[in-house]
Amino acid sequence: MNGSPLASETAFALGPVPVAQMVVVTWAIMAVLCAAAFLLTRRLRVDAGPAQTVLELLVTTLDGQIRAAIQHDPAPYRVLVGTLFILILSANWASLVPGVEPPTAHLETDAALASVVFAATIYYGIRANGVLGYLKTFAEPSWVMIPLNLVEQITRTFSLMVRLFGNVMSGVFVIGIVLSLAGLLVPIPLMALDLLTGAVQAYIFAVLSTVFIAAAVGEGGAPPGKTQDTGKGS
Amino acid sequence: MHFDWWAFAFQGINVLVLMWLLSRFLFRPVARIIADRQEATSQALAEAEKAKQAAVVAEAAAKTEQDKTASARLEVLEAARKEAEQQKKDILDAAHKTAADIRRAARDDAAHHAETERKARAARASELAVAITRRLLANLPDDARVSGYAARLRAALEALDSEQRQALNADADHLRLVTPRPLDAAELAEAMAAIRATLDTTGAVPVDPDAALIAGLELRGRHGVIHNSLSHDLERIAEALVRDDRI
Repeated sequence: MNGSPLASETAFALGPVPVAQMVVVTWAIMAVLCAAAFLLTRRLRVDAGPAQTVLELLVTTLDGQIRAAIQHDPAPYRVLVGTLFILILSANWASLVPGVEPPTAHLETDAALASVVFAATIYYGIRANGVLGYLKTFAEPSWVMIPLNLVEQITRTFSLMVRLFGNVMSGVFVIGIVLSLAGLLVPIPLMALDLLTGAVQAYIFAVLSTVFIAAAVGEGGAPPGKTQDTGKGS
Repeated sequence: MHFDWWAFAFQGINVLVLMWLLSRFLFRPVARIIADRQEATSQALAEAEKAKQAAVVAEAAAKTEQDKTASARLEVLEAARKEAEQQKKDILDAAHKTAADIRRAARDDAAHHAETERKARAARASELAVAITRRLLANLPDDARVSGYAARLRAALEALDSEQRQALNADADHLRLVTPRPLDAAELAEAMAAIRATLDTTGAVPVDPDAALIAGLELRGRHGVIHNSLSHDLERIAEALVRDDRI
């Protein structure tokens, strides 16, 4: 890290389009995750083995968290929240690989994640309450609150982005500084702490996303036609 | 600070693509297998509940059947007890009857045996008495053996009815006078006089001495005997003693 840690380094260019290094790392993470998911779910059985049990534990825990926040069937939200958690966790822990910088240590990645959450909030809110119903939620508890609610939509998304970015970037920063000052083995405790921080931040991002969606869905419940989705569709 | 909008766009697309991929390869398959397991578990629970209900019904039926069996068993036992009591009573009655019959038979047999013994003893005593009497009378004087018997013979002949007398008369040639000893002339004449007084014979009746008479005069023919002797009297006495059950 010779340049600014806030700057994104270009790995290569697709014509006029520069492809940043964090994007390449993200692709690699995606490839690993997809390959692992494919291999682990290739032979699922009712009589589950150890690996399948871990996957089922992940999904059931995820469903439990979503159900606790939204109070509805977790199936429509499982993919979004689960993907966010797994991607952020994997990206944060990518710092363990030498020479790899976590994609979440760059503002563009966090902004993209927060934007997806922002869009999903609006999507699920409109789907559960309709356009007018969703817009009416901005006037609750009183129309006086409309400006504040509108600002809140932006600020909470921004805080989601900045929180993740600040925590991961600071961890990378500290490890880089300690590594340059102290030596090879000294940053190891800090790296362990960075692992914990990465897991906590992934959990916080996923939970906050769920809470935001739950606030948008409100009393309208789950999206119509999706309440009993148990993942049996194609 | 520079914000890479291309990277922002790529990462946004990456998130959406990863959502699709993980949905296809992770979340849906795992959720499906969890749902399958829950369905299988529900089915197993439903089947277990059904089996439980069936077991409860079967248990109730078995209980009912057990009660019926117990009731039938009690009835059978009661019937068997009554039958056994009846059989016991019948057997006891039969045994009592048999015992009574045996006792009666034994009593009758003993009585019969005693009677037989008694009769045998009586007969023996009679024989003994007659033998003793015969022995004693054997020592009678000779005149006592004949004396008085001519009159008894005449009385006996006179006591005959006409048919008997006629039969004796018809057989007069074969009549003989049996005596305990040879008669002297006076005794023979007295005997012949008694015979001729009652029968239509004029000839002499042969005399046939027989010491077995002891005493007396008997007239014997082919068709009968006029008993008139002590020996005959003793025989009659002995018969009467045995017949009359007196010694």
